[in-house]
Amino acid sequence: MIKFNLNGKEVISSSKENERLLDVLRNEFSITGVKCGCKEGECGACSVILDGRLVNSCMVALGNIEESTIVTIEGYRETKRFDVLDKAYASVSAVQCGFCIPGMILASECILDKNPNPTEDEIREGISGNLCRCTGYNAIVKAISIAAKEGQGLW
Amino acid sequence: MVNFYKPTKLKEVLDILSKEVVTPYAGGTDLMIDPDENASYLFINKVQEMKNIVEDKEYIRIGAACTYTDIIENKLIPEVLKEAVSQIAAPAIRNLGTVGGNICNGSPKADSALIFFAADSKLRIVSSRGEKVIPIIDFYLGRKKLALEKDELLVEILMNKNGLNNYYYKKVGARKALAISRVSFVGIINTAGDKIIDCRTAFGAVSDVIIRREKIDAIFIGKTFEEAKALKDKYLAAYEQEIIPIRGRVSAEYRKTVCMNLLRDFLESNGI
Repeated sequence: MIKFNLNGKEVISSSKENERLLDVLRNEFSITGVKCGCKEGECGACSVILDGRLVNSCMVALGNIEESTIVTIEGYRETKRFDVLDKAYASVSAVQCGFCIPGMILASECILDKNPNPTEDEIREGISGNLCRCTGYNAIVKAISIAAKEGQGLW
Repeated sequence: MVNFYKPTKLKEVLDILSKEVVTPYAGGTDLMIDPDENASYLFINKVQEMKNIVEDKEYIRIGAACTYTDIIENKLIPEVLKEAVSQIAAPAIRNLGTVGGNICNGSPKADSALIFFAADSKLRIVSSRGEKVIPIIDFYLGRKKLALEKDELLVEILMNKNGLNNYYYKKVGARKALAISRVSFVGIINTAGDKIIDCRTAFGAVSDVIIRREKIDAIFIGKTFEEAKALKDKYLAAYEQEIIPIRGRVSAEYRKTVCMNLLRDFLESNGI
């Protein structure tokens, strides 16, 4: 039994400790905003925020997160910061098929949380582990810089 | 029987290692790629004694369970290590992966291990029977073969504090992020007056083990730059003999050519 905080709530998982956090979130907790793209830590579709840091949930065994805090898109969407990112992404049509977007939004949060005024290079570095096969990234990079401007004081 | 252990103290970790057959799990970024259902994991990422970065008179002591992000964000870490580590994978992996895991995975492509080789770093290996401190070069016995007993654990990396500033580092990968090194190279050179007092090079992702040849680098030690230039052909010829690449995703010929080009570029950028 592993106890952790999931999107603000204390939860106890009865899954095995060697299961991927990705599978535990999707199968046990029905958190399906966490997408499975590669199970190799390459694509970022399964990104979650673990104790304030972006991680690939496919690369985390459940046993490693005892007493930790996990935020997924389902929890993050309740925040004001999400509203700013949501509007910014929409304003430049930074979403096409949407599969990468839960991870991309959480990566955006981690970029801005670390640095509220990132340069374009810092934004590109921050999303370098999140693959998007539709947009070509430029719109996403633009969206994050718009969110940085619009969200002054939030980050 | 598969068991899982989540100790928080090093003593407990060593105790479990001495009694059970377990796989130490720190960051998990190598283990989770191809997970072994039957492995008993010993989770060590909450063992504080393995997560510190401190300095003593001689060394920067890096806990084996420090993540790449911990390395990048710490003021004590030399720039050469920061540069290499910040080119590993992408932020989400760097937030999990550890330097101890990078070393103990046993791959010649380990980008942090390359720097530890060139820095002549030492490893503090501990078991419930005692501890030993060995040069990293003695830790690698072959591909995926380590000088590490079942009950032993890499706890700390001891990195020399000085002499690492004048470095040359290049990682050759297929792309900028999420790239596994096809060839990696680091060179460090130090001078006193007009003499070279220190020359250290290492090649990663080339052979079964990272290539570090002190005897060849010694050709330049104690020499002036003029003398070094005269010895350059001898030096390059010696490495030409020693670099015997294995074929992987890229050809052995490519690896060899890139290694020699990087070595020449390192020397030329230092006026040799």
